[in-house]
Amino acid sequence: MKNIFLLVLVSGVTLLVSGCWDRVEVNDLAIVTAAAIDKKDDNQIELSLQIFIPKALSSGGGQGGGTGGGGAVTLVTSHKGSNISDALSKLQSEFPRRVFWGHCKVFIFGERLAKAGIQEQMDFLLRHPQPRERAYVYVSEGKAKPILELFAPLERYSAERLREISDLHLGMQVTLQDLDEKLIGIAQAAALPRVDILPPEKGQEKSQGKPYIVGTAVFKKDKMIGKLTENETRGILWIRNEIEASTVTFKLGAEKGKISINPIEATIKLVPVIQNKKWIMVVKIDTEGSIIQNGTNLNLSSTKLIRAVEKAFAKEIEKRIKLAFQQTQQVLKADIVGFGEEFFRKYPKQWKENEGRWDKIYPEIELEIEIKAHVRRQGYINKPGGMPEKEVKEQ
Amino acid sequence: MEKGKISALQMAIMMYPMIVASAILGVPSITAKYAKNDLWLSPIFASIIGYVTVYIVYKLHELYPKQTVIQFSEYILGRLLGKILGLLFLFFYIQTTGVILREYAEFIVDSFLVRTPISVTMASMVLLCAFIVYGGLEVIGRAAQLFFPLFVFPLLILIILVVPDFEFKNIFPILGDGIWPPIKGAIVPSGWFTEFFMVIFLFPFLTDKKKGMKYGMLTVFAVMVTLVVVNLVVLFVLGSATSSKVYPLMNVARYISIAEFFENFESAVMAIWIVGTFIKISGFYYVAVLSTAQWLKLSDYRPIIWPIGILIVVFGFWSIPNTLEIERFNEGTFPMFGIIVQTIIPLLLLLIAVLRKKKRKKTESS
Repeated sequence: MKNIFLLVLVSGVTLLVSGCWDRVEVNDLAIVTAAAIDKKDDNQIELSLQIFIPKALSSGGGQGGGTGGGGAVTLVTSHKGSNISDALSKLQSEFPRRVFWGHCKVFIFGERLAKAGIQEQMDFLLRHPQPRERAYVYVSEGKAKPILELFAPLERYSAERLREISDLHLGMQVTLQDLDEKLIGIAQAAALPRVDILPPEKGQEKSQGKPYIVGTAVFKKDKMIGKLTENETRGILWIRNEIEASTVTFKLGAEKGKISINPIEATIKLVPVIQNKKWIMVVKIDTEGSIIQNGTNLNLSSTKLIRAVEKAFAKEIEKRIKLAFQQTQQVLKADIVGFGEEFFRKYPKQWKENEGRWDKIYPEIELEIEIKAHVRRQGYINKPGGMPEKEVKEQ
Repeated sequence: MEKGKISALQMAIMMYPMIVASAILGVPSITAKYAKNDLWLSPIFASIIGYVTVYIVYKLHELYPKQTVIQFSEYILGRLLGKILGLLFLFFYIQTTGVILREYAEFIVDSFLVRTPISVTMASMVLLCAFIVYGGLEVIGRAAQLFFPLFVFPLLILIILVVPDFEFKNIFPILGDGIWPPIKGAIVPSGWFTEFFMVIFLFPFLTDKKKGMKYGMLTVFAVMVTLVVVNLVVLFVLGSATSSKVYPLMNVARYISIAEFFENFESAVMAIWIVGTFIKISGFYYVAVLSTAQWLKLSDYRPIIWPIGILIVVFGFWSIPNTLEIERFNEGTFPMFGIIVQTIIPLLLLLIAVLRKKKRKKTESS
């Protein structure tokens, strides 16, 4: 008897302690895949969410792309508010499912908002337990909302497309955590990839435009102060050791045609030096790559020519870095590559003495670049392809 | 009273999660506030107080091998003073258990069970712990042994998985501001290390008493190494943002992403935290119950398990209004409170006991 009573009691207790308060069914959730935040007039912001439609995927709508619009697996909804949480709660009241941030991997700040400052909105994203620190952050060219409305034929939705592009490392790849670290850190400057829309081809609908990464938005404190072009971004990527699979194309002396090299590997070391009160940053680059196209009439199999190519390759990298650094140092005056941190790490004492003066020191830092470039492979052919042997120059 | 026996190894296995479980979650952030990027040095300084505490406790235990501090303080200080000191220990353990319980519940409610009333989270944990305390010391020891792998392996796996995101240069400059910041940062973790005082309640029940000191010291060392590693991991991943996070290790676990599908690992942190806190609260709860029974000179401690459990829940509510207050308590109050109650008072007890013994010897010889 006692045992039966105990059994009933225990089963009763299990019902009570199974944590039903926070039970959430997937079909009660609106899974956010991307969020865009724009600044509106009268101190308002507009929060736009790209929300996943599970039904569209299960009925095979994902593949039915082609005709445009028809097979959309996401919808975009937006609302104005004085900040994200305000806009969110207003948006929630018009939306049947509970907004869930856990899968949101893309945050896009509108250009206007970026220029006005993003700190207030960052606070929400970092404080709320759902948004992930690993989500990528972007700044849009113009308004951010249209990017969410685009249709991505190859991927499932436009946010996925952006994320995949970021993973290719052709532009900056900045997560929420990186951004937070940069803004808190001593440099007080950050860089975010800039997203623009490739206009649709003639005769296509507006939603057929494609989002892509055009370069970099430069932040000082939490405000956007300028832009870097794609070329300049490459230079920054070289300094920050984030370069991956971006082809370097250059001319070799006075030869006709160009040579392209794909850098396979690059190790980059930043060595800060303080000499006679002069702050110098030595960038040491050791890179190797393979020739992927030879537009000249030279036979690059000879060691002598390869040396020359290596030299020109190194020169080209140097040129890119100088161009990018010139722009960030002289024009924008924002330490987005984190030189301040490097100096702080090596010279904590001198750093402390000059802590308040970093803004003045940074534009005067001298850049010394030492590049060792190697060409390791030449691909499947040695002489220039598709060229009669007579025309090939051996030396 | 307590008839169970545990081995010295079981004691070590009990003590390790008891200290580490709560120290890995919030403490790195508080340490980083003072020590900046030298936060990994702080546990090393803090552990000194752990070694000292274990040493003092062991010396006391050698003088009174069969009793706990509640019992022998009456011999050392006399009846009245001994009882007052006992009451202080009682209050300390019940209140601290309440705070730990509240801290556990706040974390769970903050990050996972957002809409569950906190009283439910707290009560269910105390209920579970009450059962294990009812089983006695042996059961706690074996449960700790059983759960130990569940505590250690997820932590190890978590650390290994996050290695690709390490930014090793975050560690520099080492001691850029001199030695003081990491020492300041050590104050808060040292409060955690004083909790090793609890072994005073376990030593009398060891089967191999000679190994008590050795295993106690080893546990302090293991805890120190773990905290150093965790602090380093947090520093490597979060860098300058460490001090702005409330639960840095949680952020680190969330940051794991291997091949784009091995993600969202925070449940591992929750598992570690719950298993560890379960052992921690059971241990503290047991000590609170045992010392109350000894203080009241009861023949059995089981009848007071439930009343004390209710007191613990109530203390969890009374002493703390919100998470900010927990942080303030951990940062401002507990280090001093813990060191005074768990290290300085035992030290004084030891001094008085030794002096008395010498005096007695003198009078005997004369």
